[in-house]
Amino acid sequence: MSGLRGRTPAVIAAVGLICLWQLIVWAFSVPTYMAPGPVDVVIAFRESAGILWSNFWPTLYEALLGFICGNTIAILLAVWFVHKTTAERAFYPIAVFINTIPIIAVAPILVLIFGNGFAPKIIIAGLICFFPTLVNMVRGLKAVSPATLDLMRVLSASNGEVFWKVRIQSSLPFLFAALRIASTTCVIGAIVAEWIGSNFGLGALIIEATYNFRSPLLYATVFTAAMLAVAIFSTVSFAESRIVRWKAPEVH
Amino acid sequence: MTLDCAPARDLAVSIKDLDVKFGVGDNAVTALSGVSVNITEGSLVTMIGPSGCGKSTLLRAVADLVPISNGGLTVLGQSPSEARRQRYFSFVFQDATLLPWRTALDNVKLPFEVGGGGGIRADPGELLELVGLKGREHAWPDELSGGMRQRVAIARALATRPKVLLMDEPFGALDEITRDKLNEELLRIWRETGTTIIFVTHSIAEAVFLGESVLVLATNPGRVKEFLPVPLSHPRKLPVRDTLEFVEITGHLRRSLEEC
Repeated sequence: MSGLRGRTPAVIAAVGLICLWQLIVWAFSVPTYMAPGPVDVVIAFRESAGILWSNFWPTLYEALLGFICGNTIAILLAVWFVHKTTAERAFYPIAVFINTIPIIAVAPILVLIFGNGFAPKIIIAGLICFFPTLVNMVRGLKAVSPATLDLMRVLSASNGEVFWKVRIQSSLPFLFAALRIASTTCVIGAIVAEWIGSNFGLGALIIEATYNFRSPLLYATVFTAAMLAVAIFSTVSFAESRIVRWKAPEVH
Repeated sequence: MTLDCAPARDLAVSIKDLDVKFGVGDNAVTALSGVSVNITEGSLVTMIGPSGCGKSTLLRAVADLVPISNGGLTVLGQSPSEARRQRYFSFVFQDATLLPWRTALDNVKLPFEVGGGGGIRADPGELLELVGLKGREHAWPDELSGGMRQRVAIARALATRPKVLLMDEPFGALDEITRDKLNEELLRIWRETGTTIIFVTHSIAEAVFLGESVLVLATNPGRVKEFLPVPLSHPRKLPVRDTLEFVEITGHLRRSLEEC
Protein backbone atom coordinates (compact mmCIF):
# COMPACT_ATOMS: atom_id res chain seq x y z
CA MET A 1 0.00 0.00 0.00
CA SER A 2 2.43 2.62 1.25
CA GLY A 3 5.25 0.85 -0.64
CA LEU A 4 4.44 2.21 -4.07
CA ARG A 5 3.85 5.75 -2.90
CA GLY A 6 6.91 5.62 -0.66
CA ARG A 7 9.12 4.53 -3.55
CA THR A 8 7.97 7.16 -6.04
CA PRO A 9 10.68 9.72 -5.08
CA ALA A 10 13.38 7.05 -5.38
CA VAL A 11 12.17 6.02 -8.86
CA ILE A 12 12.05 9.63 -10.03
CA ALA A 13 15.55 10.26 -8.66
CA ALA A 14 16.94 7.15 -10.37
CA VAL A 15 15.38 8.00 -13.74
CA GLY A 16 16.64 11.59 -13.38
CA LEU A 17 20.22 10.46 -12.69
CA ILE A 18 20.20 8.10 -15.69
CA CYS A 19 18.97 10.94 -17.95
CA LEU A 20 21.68 13.24 -16.51
CA TRP A 21 24.31 10.59 -17.20
CA GLN A 22 23.16 10.27 -20.84
CA LEU A 23 23.13 14.09 -21.25
CA ILE A 24 26.68 14.45 -19.91
CA VAL A 25 27.94 11.72 -22.25
CA TRP A 26 26.30 13.49 -25.21
CA ALA A 27 27.19 17.04 -24.21
CA PHE A 28 30.89 16.34 -23.71
CA SER A 29 31.14 13.71 -26.51
CA VAL A 30 32.69 11.21 -24.08
CA PRO A 31 34.12 8.29 -26.09
CA THR A 32 32.20 5.03 -25.54
CA TYR A 33 35.28 3.05 -24.41
CA MET A 34 35.88 5.57 -21.61
CA ALA A 35 32.33 5.91 -20.32
CA PRO A 36 29.36 4.57 -22.26
CA GLY A 37 25.95 6.19 -21.88
CA PRO A 38 22.85 4.34 -20.67
CA VAL A 39 21.73 3.79 -24.26
CA ASP A 40 25.01 1.98 -25.08
CA VAL A 41 24.60 -0.16 -21.98
CA VAL A 42 21.04 -1.14 -22.95
CA ILE A 43 22.30 -2.10 -26.42
CA ALA A 44 25.07 -4.16 -24.82
CA PHE A 45 22.46 -5.93 -22.68
CA ARG A 46 20.53 -6.94 -25.83
CA GLU A 47 23.56 -7.93 -27.90
CA SER A 48 25.40 -9.81 -25.13
CA ALA A 49 22.39 -11.33 -23.39
CA GLY A 50 23.72 -14.85 -24.05
CA ILE A 51 27.18 -14.18 -22.61
CA LEU A 52 25.76 -12.34 -19.59
CA TRP A 53 23.28 -15.11 -18.89
CA SER A 54 25.81 -17.95 -19.20
CA ASN A 55 28.20 -16.12 -16.83
CA PHE A 56 25.42 -15.13 -14.42
CA TRP A 57 24.66 -18.71 -13.36
CA PRO A 58 28.15 -19.71 -12.12
CA THR A 59 28.37 -16.51 -10.03
CA LEU A 60 24.89 -17.07 -8.59
CA TYR A 61 25.85 -20.66 -7.77
CA GLU A 62 29.11 -19.64 -6.04
CA ALA A 63 27.54 -16.75 -4.13
CA LEU A 64 24.57 -18.81 -2.93
CA LEU A 65 26.61 -21.84 -1.93
CA GLY A 66 29.12 -19.58 -0.17
CA PHE A 67 26.26 -17.79 1.59
CA ILE A 68 24.74 -21.07 2.79
CA CYS A 69 28.02 -22.71 3.85
CA GLY A 70 29.60 -19.63 5.46
CA ASN A 71 26.49 -18.75 7.44
CA THR A 72 25.74 -22.33 8.48
CA ILE A 73 29.24 -22.80 9.85
CA ALA A 74 29.04 -19.40 11.60
CA ILE A 75 25.69 -20.29 13.22
CA LEU A 76 26.88 -23.72 14.40
CA LEU A 77 30.09 -22.22 15.76
CA ALA A 78 28.11 -19.52 17.59
CA VAL A 79 25.92 -22.20 19.21
CA TRP A 80 29.05 -24.07 20.27
CA PHE A 81 30.66 -20.87 21.65
CA VAL A 82 27.59 -20.05 23.72
CA HIS A 83 27.50 -23.52 25.25
CA LYS A 84 31.23 -23.94 25.77
CA THR A 85 33.00 -20.83 27.02
CA THR A 86 36.33 -22.61 26.58
CA ALA A 87 35.60 -23.05 22.88
CA GLU A 88 34.81 -19.35 22.58
CA ARG A 89 38.04 -18.40 24.36
CA ALA A 90 40.04 -20.73 22.12
CA PHE A 91 38.58 -19.97 18.70
CA TYR A 92 37.10 -16.46 18.86
CA PRO A 93 40.53 -14.76 18.63
CA ILE A 94 41.37 -16.98 15.64
CA ALA A 95 38.11 -15.98 13.97
CA VAL A 96 38.95 -12.31 14.59
CA PHE A 97 42.43 -12.86 13.12
CA ILE A 98 41.05 -14.51 9.98
CA ASN A 99 38.65 -11.61 9.62
CA THR A 100 41.51 -9.09 9.63
CA ILE A 101 43.19 -10.70 6.57
CA PRO A 102 41.96 -8.84 3.48
CA ILE A 103 39.83 -11.20 1.44
CA ILE A 104 41.67 -10.12 -1.71
CA ALA A 105 44.91 -11.44 -0.16
CA VAL A 106 43.38 -14.81 0.74
CA ALA A 107 41.94 -15.36 -2.72
CA PRO A 108 45.26 -16.18 -4.54
CA ILE A 109 46.21 -18.59 -1.75
CA LEU A 110 42.96 -20.48 -2.13
CA VAL A 111 43.25 -20.52 -5.94
CA LEU A 112 46.73 -22.06 -5.57
CA ILE A 113 45.35 -24.75 -3.26
CA PHE A 114 42.02 -25.51 -4.92
CA GLY A 115 42.68 -24.62 -8.57
CA ASN A 116 40.47 -22.79 -11.01
CA GLY A 117 37.16 -24.54 -10.31
CA PHE A 118 34.20 -23.58 -8.17
CA ALA A 119 35.75 -24.52 -4.82
CA PRO A 120 37.90 -21.40 -4.12
CA LYS A 121 35.05 -19.08 -5.17
CA ILE A 122 32.59 -20.75 -2.85
CA ILE A 123 35.11 -20.70 0.00
CA ILE A 124 35.83 -16.98 -0.47
CA ALA A 125 32.14 -16.12 -0.75
CA GLY A 126 31.56 -18.17 2.42
CA LEU A 127 34.52 -16.63 4.24
CA ILE A 128 33.27 -13.09 3.64
CA CYS A 129 29.81 -14.00 5.08
CA PHE A 130 31.23 -15.88 8.02
CA PHE A 131 32.45 -13.25 10.48
CA PRO A 132 29.51 -10.82 10.77
CA THR A 133 27.15 -13.76 11.21
CA LEU A 134 29.34 -15.35 13.89
CA VAL A 135 29.57 -12.11 15.90
CA ASN A 136 25.87 -11.29 15.61
CA MET A 137 24.73 -14.83 16.33
CA VAL A 138 26.83 -15.02 19.51
CA ARG A 139 25.39 -11.68 20.60
CA GLY A 140 21.85 -12.79 19.76
CA LEU A 141 22.09 -16.10 21.62
CA LYS A 142 23.37 -14.24 24.69
CA ALA A 143 20.76 -11.47 24.49
CA VAL A 144 18.46 -13.15 26.99
CA SER A 145 17.65 -11.25 30.18
CA PRO A 146 18.55 -12.89 33.53
CA ALA A 147 14.88 -12.54 34.52
CA THR A 148 13.81 -14.63 31.51
CA LEU A 149 16.31 -17.31 32.52
CA ASP A 150 14.90 -17.17 36.09
CA LEU A 151 11.41 -17.62 34.64
CA MET A 152 12.52 -20.68 32.68
CA ARG A 153 14.13 -22.09 35.82
CA VAL A 154 10.96 -21.62 37.87
CA LEU A 155 9.15 -23.48 35.06
CA SER A 156 11.77 -26.28 35.41
CA ALA A 157 12.70 -25.88 31.71
CA SER A 158 15.58 -28.04 30.48
CA ASN A 159 18.66 -26.56 28.80
CA GLY A 160 17.32 -27.75 25.46
CA GLU A 161 14.01 -26.00 26.04
CA VAL A 162 15.78 -22.77 27.03
CA PHE A 163 17.82 -23.04 23.83
CA TRP A 164 14.97 -23.73 21.41
CA LYS A 165 12.21 -21.70 23.07
CA VAL A 166 14.26 -18.68 24.13
CA ARG A 167 17.83 -18.38 22.84
CA ILE A 168 17.21 -19.27 19.19
CA GLN A 169 14.16 -16.99 19.02
CA SER A 170 15.92 -14.06 20.65
CA SER A 171 18.87 -14.45 18.25
CA LEU A 172 16.75 -14.23 15.07
CA PRO A 173 16.73 -10.42 14.67
CA PHE A 174 20.51 -10.40 15.20
CA LEU A 175 20.94 -13.26 12.74
CA PHE A 176 18.89 -11.56 10.03
CA ALA A 177 20.81 -8.30 10.48
CA ALA A 178 23.95 -10.32 9.68
CA LEU A 179 22.31 -12.24 6.81
CA ARG A 180 21.31 -8.96 5.14
CA ILE A 181 24.98 -7.91 5.18
CA ALA A 182 26.05 -11.36 3.96
CA SER A 183 23.52 -11.31 1.11
CA THR A 184 25.48 -8.59 -0.69
CA THR A 185 28.99 -9.44 0.45
CA CYS A 186 28.73 -13.06 -0.79
CA VAL A 187 28.37 -11.70 -4.35
CA ILE A 188 31.43 -9.49 -3.80
CA GLY A 189 33.33 -12.58 -2.57
CA ALA A 190 32.38 -14.65 -5.62
CA ILE A 191 33.35 -11.87 -8.06
CA VAL A 192 36.69 -11.11 -6.35
CA ALA A 193 37.51 -14.82 -6.49
CA GLU A 194 36.70 -14.89 -10.21
CA TRP A 195 39.08 -11.98 -10.84
CA ILE A 196 42.03 -13.93 -9.44
CA GLY A 197 41.72 -16.88 -11.71
CA SER A 198 38.70 -17.95 -13.67
CA ASN A 199 37.39 -18.23 -17.20
CA PHE A 200 33.73 -18.12 -16.21
CA GLY A 201 31.41 -15.98 -14.10
CA LEU A 202 30.60 -12.28 -13.94
CA GLY A 203 34.00 -11.53 -12.36
CA ALA A 204 35.86 -13.08 -15.28
CA LEU A 205 33.59 -11.20 -17.71
CA ILE A 206 34.40 -7.89 -15.95
CA ILE A 207 38.15 -8.52 -16.41
CA GLU A 208 37.71 -9.59 -20.05
CA ALA A 209 35.48 -6.63 -20.96
CA THR A 210 37.90 -4.17 -19.29
CA TYR A 211 40.97 -5.49 -21.11
CA ASN A 212 39.17 -5.43 -24.46
CA PHE A 213 37.74 -1.92 -23.92
CA ARG A 214 34.20 -3.32 -24.28
CA SER A 215 32.94 -0.71 -21.84
CA PRO A 216 29.17 -1.10 -22.53
CA LEU A 217 29.52 -4.84 -21.79
CA LEU A 218 31.53 -4.02 -18.64
CA TYR A 219 28.77 -1.74 -17.39
CA ALA A 220 26.10 -4.31 -18.24
CA THR A 221 28.05 -6.96 -16.30
CA VAL A 222 28.45 -4.71 -13.25
CA PHE A 223 24.73 -3.96 -13.39
CA THR A 224 23.92 -7.70 -13.58
CA ALA A 225 26.14 -8.37 -10.54
CA ALA A 226 24.33 -5.62 -8.62
CA MET A 227 20.97 -7.12 -9.59
CA LEU A 228 22.14 -10.49 -8.30
CA ALA A 229 23.03 -8.96 -4.92
CA VAL A 230 19.69 -7.12 -4.80
CA ALA A 231 17.84 -10.39 -5.56
CA ILE A 232 19.54 -12.25 -2.69
CA PHE A 233 19.06 -9.26 -0.36
CA SER A 234 15.34 -9.10 -1.19
CA THR A 235 14.94 -12.83 -0.57
CA VAL A 236 16.58 -12.50 2.85
CA SER A 237 14.45 -9.44 3.72
CA PHE A 238 11.30 -11.27 2.64
CA ALA A 239 12.21 -14.30 4.74
CA GLU A 240 12.88 -12.00 7.71
CA SER A 241 9.49 -10.31 7.38
CA ARG A 242 7.78 -13.72 7.42
CA ILE A 243 9.81 -15.25 10.25
CA VAL A 244 10.48 -12.33 12.64
CA ARG A 245 7.19 -10.63 13.36
CA TRP A 246 8.35 -8.77 16.42
CA LYS A 247 10.78 -5.90 16.97
CA ALA A 248 13.98 -6.23 18.93
CA PRO A 249 14.95 -2.70 19.94
CA GLU A 250 18.54 -3.55 20.76
CA VAL A 251 19.58 -4.74 17.27
CA HIS A 252 21.92 -2.51 15.15
CA MET B 1 -11.73 -12.13 60.20
CA THR B 2 -9.84 -14.47 57.95
CA LEU B 3 -6.95 -14.38 60.37
CA ASP B 4 -9.06 -15.89 63.16
CA CYS B 5 -9.31 -19.20 61.38
CA ALA B 6 -5.61 -19.16 60.45
CA PRO B 7 -4.55 -21.90 62.89
CA ALA B 8 -6.96 -24.31 61.24
CA ARG B 9 -5.34 -23.89 57.85
CA ASP B 10 -2.34 -25.88 56.58
CA LEU B 11 1.00 -24.26 56.06
CA ALA B 12 1.78 -23.10 52.51
CA VAL B 13 5.33 -22.01 53.30
CA SER B 14 7.25 -22.90 56.43
CA ILE B 15 10.61 -21.25 57.10
CA LYS B 16 12.71 -22.11 60.14
CA ASP B 17 16.06 -20.58 61.16
CA LEU B 18 16.88 -19.84 57.54
CA ASP B 19 20.32 -18.49 56.62
CA VAL B 20 21.29 -17.43 53.12
CA LYS B 21 24.90 -16.48 52.43
CA PHE B 22 26.45 -15.37 49.16
CA GLY B 23 30.08 -16.05 48.35
CA VAL B 24 32.56 -18.18 50.30
CA GLY B 25 35.18 -17.69 53.01
CA ASP B 26 36.04 -14.16 54.09
CA ASN B 27 34.10 -12.63 51.21
CA ALA B 28 30.84 -14.29 52.26
CA VAL B 29 27.92 -11.89 52.68
CA THR B 30 25.05 -12.87 54.94
CA ALA B 31 21.84 -11.92 53.12
CA LEU B 32 19.44 -13.56 55.57
CA SER B 33 20.03 -14.73 59.10
CA GLY B 34 17.77 -16.82 61.33
CA VAL B 35 14.55 -16.12 59.47
CA SER B 36 11.56 -18.06 60.79
CA VAL B 37 8.05 -17.53 59.50
CA ASN B 38 4.99 -19.64 58.78
CA ILE B 39 2.59 -18.69 56.02
CA THR B 40 -0.77 -20.42 56.05
CA GLU B 41 -2.49 -21.68 52.93
CA GLY B 42 -4.74 -19.19 51.22
CA SER B 43 -3.28 -16.13 52.95
CA LEU B 44 -1.87 -13.02 51.37
CA VAL B 45 1.36 -11.92 52.98
CA THR B 46 3.19 -8.80 51.91
CA MET B 47 6.87 -8.37 52.60
CA ILE B 48 8.51 -4.99 53.14
CA GLY B 49 11.85 -3.72 54.34
CA PRO B 50 14.65 -1.29 53.59
CA SER B 51 16.65 -1.99 50.43
CA GLY B 52 19.24 -4.67 50.98
CA CYS B 53 17.18 -6.37 53.72
CA GLY B 54 16.91 -9.51 51.60
CA LYS B 55 13.17 -9.52 50.91
CA SER B 56 13.74 -10.49 47.28
CA THR B 57 16.33 -13.05 48.40
CA LEU B 58 13.81 -14.63 50.77
CA LEU B 59 11.24 -14.86 47.97
CA ARG B 60 13.86 -16.28 45.59
CA ALA B 61 14.88 -18.85 48.22
CA VAL B 62 11.27 -20.04 48.38
CA ALA B 63 11.28 -20.25 44.56
CA ASP B 64 14.50 -22.32 44.48
CA LEU B 65 16.30 -19.51 42.64
CA VAL B 66 18.74 -18.98 45.53
CA PRO B 67 20.38 -21.85 47.45
CA ILE B 68 19.81 -22.11 51.20
CA SER B 69 22.89 -22.07 53.42
CA ASN B 70 21.28 -23.25 56.65
CA GLY B 71 17.90 -23.98 58.19
CA GLY B 72 14.65 -25.35 56.84
CA LEU B 73 12.32 -24.17 54.09
CA THR B 74 9.35 -26.13 52.83
CA VAL B 75 6.59 -25.34 50.37
CA LEU B 76 3.52 -27.46 51.13
CA GLY B 77 5.81 -29.83 52.98
CA GLN B 78 8.23 -30.24 50.07
CA SER B 79 11.72 -28.86 49.50
CA PRO B 80 11.81 -25.82 47.19
CA SER B 81 13.30 -27.81 44.29
CA GLU B 82 10.71 -30.59 44.63
CA ALA B 83 7.93 -27.99 44.92
CA ARG B 84 9.28 -26.35 41.75
CA ARG B 85 9.17 -29.65 39.86
CA GLN B 86 5.64 -30.29 41.16
CA ARG B 87 4.68 -26.79 40.04
CA TYR B 88 3.36 -25.84 43.47
CA PHE B 89 4.37 -22.22 42.97
CA SER B 90 4.67 -19.56 40.25
CA PHE B 91 6.75 -16.42 40.16
CA VAL B 92 5.90 -12.95 38.90
CA PHE B 93 8.92 -10.72 38.32
CA GLN B 94 9.19 -6.94 38.44
CA ASP B 95 9.67 -7.04 34.68
CA ALA B 96 6.84 -8.87 32.90
CA THR B 97 9.44 -11.10 31.13
CA LEU B 98 7.06 -11.91 28.29
CA LEU B 99 8.65 -13.56 25.26
CA PRO B 100 8.28 -10.85 22.58
CA TRP B 101 7.87 -13.38 19.75
CA ARG B 102 4.75 -14.84 21.33
CA THR B 103 1.26 -13.37 21.48
CA ALA B 104 -0.37 -12.77 24.87
CA LEU B 105 -2.18 -16.13 24.60
CA ASP B 106 0.97 -18.04 23.61
CA ASN B 107 2.87 -16.45 26.48
CA VAL B 108 0.22 -17.74 28.90
CA LYS B 109 0.63 -21.21 27.35
CA LEU B 110 4.42 -21.26 27.87
CA PRO B 111 4.27 -23.25 31.15
CA PHE B 112 2.50 -26.09 29.27
CA GLU B 113 5.33 -26.39 26.76
CA VAL B 114 8.38 -26.57 29.01
CA GLY B 115 9.55 -28.46 32.07
CA GLY B 116 7.60 -31.56 31.10
CA GLY B 117 4.39 -29.51 30.91
CA GLY B 118 3.13 -31.26 34.03
CA GLY B 119 0.53 -30.10 36.51
CA ILE B 120 -2.89 -28.65 36.05
CA ARG B 121 -3.67 -26.74 32.87
CA ALA B 122 -6.04 -23.84 33.32
CA ASP B 123 -7.81 -22.47 30.25
CA PRO B 124 -5.52 -19.68 28.91
CA GLY B 125 -8.45 -17.74 27.44
CA GLU B 126 -10.28 -17.73 30.76
CA LEU B 127 -7.12 -16.61 32.55
CA LEU B 128 -6.75 -13.63 30.22
CA GLU B 129 -10.37 -12.81 30.93
CA LEU B 130 -9.67 -13.08 34.66
CA VAL B 131 -6.89 -10.49 34.39
CA GLY B 132 -9.09 -8.23 32.26
CA LEU B 133 -7.51 -8.83 28.85
CA LYS B 134 -10.41 -10.41 27.00
CA GLY B 135 -10.13 -9.52 23.33
CA ARG B 136 -6.35 -8.92 23.48
CA GLU B 137 -5.41 -12.62 23.26
CA HIS B 138 -3.59 -12.22 19.95
CA ALA B 139 -1.81 -8.95 20.75
CA TRP B 140 2.00 -8.93 20.67
CA PRO B 141 3.77 -7.84 23.86
CA ASP B 142 5.10 -4.66 22.21
CA GLU B 143 1.52 -3.66 21.45
CA LEU B 144 0.55 -3.81 25.14
CA SER B 145 1.13 -1.20 27.84
CA GLY B 146 3.32 -1.96 30.86
CA GLY B 147 0.26 -2.67 33.01
CA MET B 148 -1.22 -4.99 30.40
CA ARG B 149 2.07 -6.88 30.04
CA GLN B 150 2.13 -7.42 33.80
CA ARG B 151 -1.48 -8.71 33.61
CA VAL B 152 -0.35 -11.26 31.00
CA ALA B 153 2.52 -12.25 33.31
CA ILE B 154 0.01 -12.82 36.14
CA ALA B 155 -2.20 -14.91 33.84
CA ARG B 156 0.86 -16.97 32.85
CA ALA B 157 1.76 -17.46 36.52
CA LEU B 158 -1.79 -18.72 37.20
CA ALA B 159 -1.79 -21.07 34.18
CA THR B 160 -0.70 -24.10 36.21
CA ARG B 161 -3.11 -23.27 39.07
CA PRO B 162 -0.25 -22.84 41.55
CA LYS B 163 -0.91 -23.21 45.26
CA VAL B 164 1.51 -20.37 45.98
CA LEU B 165 2.05 -17.21 43.94
CA LEU B 166 5.34 -15.44 44.58
CA MET B 167 5.42 -11.81 43.43
CA ASP B 168 8.60 -9.73 43.48
CA GLU B 169 7.62 -6.04 43.25
CA PRO B 170 5.38 -6.85 40.28
CA PHE B 171 3.89 -3.35 40.07
CA GLY B 172 7.04 -1.45 41.06
CA ALA B 173 7.70 -0.16 37.55
CA LEU B 174 4.14 0.98 36.87
CA ASP B 175 2.60 4.40 37.31
CA GLU B 176 0.51 4.96 40.44
CA ILE B 177 -2.92 4.87 38.79
CA THR B 178 -2.20 1.58 37.00
CA ARG B 179 -0.70 0.21 40.19
CA ASP B 180 -3.82 1.09 42.24
CA LYS B 181 -6.04 -0.60 39.67
CA LEU B 182 -3.91 -3.73 39.58
CA ASN B 183 -3.79 -3.82 43.39
CA GLU B 184 -7.57 -3.96 43.52
CA GLU B 185 -7.67 -6.59 40.79
CA LEU B 186 -5.04 -8.69 42.48
CA LEU B 187 -7.25 -8.82 45.60
CA ARG B 188 -10.16 -9.93 43.41
CA ILE B 189 -8.02 -12.63 41.75
CA TRP B 190 -6.81 -13.75 45.18
CA ARG B 191 -10.42 -14.09 46.42
CA GLU B 192 -11.51 -15.90 43.26
CA THR B 193 -8.61 -18.36 43.07
CA GLY B 194 -7.83 -18.91 46.75
CA THR B 195 -4.11 -18.94 45.94
CA THR B 196 -1.60 -18.17 48.67
CA ILE B 197 0.24 -15.00 47.69
CA ILE B 198 3.57 -13.71 48.95
CA PHE B 199 4.07 -10.20 47.67
CA VAL B 200 7.29 -8.20 47.96
CA THR B 201 6.93 -4.42 47.73
CA HIS B 202 8.73 -1.25 48.75
CA SER B 203 5.49 0.70 49.15
CA ILE B 204 4.06 0.77 52.68
CA ALA B 205 0.58 1.67 51.39
CA GLU B 206 0.64 -1.23 48.94
CA ALA B 207 1.84 -3.63 51.66
CA VAL B 208 -1.01 -2.64 54.01
CA PHE B 209 -3.71 -2.46 51.34
CA LEU B 210 -2.94 -5.94 49.96
CA GLY B 211 -1.69 -7.85 52.96
CA GLU B 212 -3.63 -9.93 55.44
CA SER B 213 -0.39 -9.59 57.32
CA VAL B 214 2.81 -7.69 56.65
CA LEU B 215 6.22 -9.25 57.15
CA VAL B 216 8.73 -6.53 58.02
CA LEU B 217 12.39 -7.35 57.44
CA ALA B 218 15.36 -5.50 58.94
CA THR B 219 18.74 -5.17 57.34
CA ASN B 220 22.34 -6.10 58.27
CA PRO B 221 21.86 -8.99 58.38
CA GLY B 222 18.45 -9.58 56.80
CA ARG B 223 16.10 -10.78 59.55
CA VAL B 224 12.45 -10.67 60.56
CA LYS B 225 11.59 -7.49 62.42
CA GLU B 226 7.88 -7.91 62.77
CA PHE B 227 4.99 -10.02 61.43
CA LEU B 228 2.05 -7.65 61.65
CA PRO B 229 -1.57 -8.68 61.02
CA VAL B 230 -3.67 -6.13 59.12
CA PRO B 231 -7.14 -6.08 60.67
CA LEU B 232 -8.88 -4.43 57.72
CA SER B 233 -11.91 -6.39 56.50
CA HIS B 234 -12.27 -7.90 53.02
CA PRO B 235 -13.20 -7.22 50.28
CA ARG B 236 -11.05 -4.10 50.41
CA LYS B 237 -11.52 -1.24 47.99
CA LEU B 238 -9.13 1.65 47.35
CA PRO B 239 -10.97 4.19 49.59
CA VAL B 240 -10.00 2.08 52.63
CA ARG B 241 -6.65 3.84 52.37
CA ASP B 242 -8.28 7.06 53.59
CA THR B 243 -9.59 5.51 56.82
CA LEU B 244 -8.01 6.28 60.18
CA GLU B 245 -7.34 2.59 60.77
CA PHE B 246 -5.31 2.33 57.55
CA VAL B 247 -3.33 5.47 58.33
CA GLU B 248 -2.55 4.19 61.83
CA ILE B 249 -1.18 0.91 60.47
CA THR B 250 0.96 2.63 57.81
CA GLY B 251 2.20 5.06 60.45
CA HIS B 252 3.22 2.19 62.70
CA LEU B 253 5.00 0.47 59.79
CA ARG B 254 6.82 3.66 58.82
CA ARG B 255 8.20 4.04 62.35
CA SER B 256 9.06 0.36 62.44
CA LEU B 257 10.99 0.69 59.15
CA GLU B 258 12.87 3.75 60.37
CA GLU B 259 14.29 1.68 63.22
CA CYS B 260 15.50 -1.04 60.80
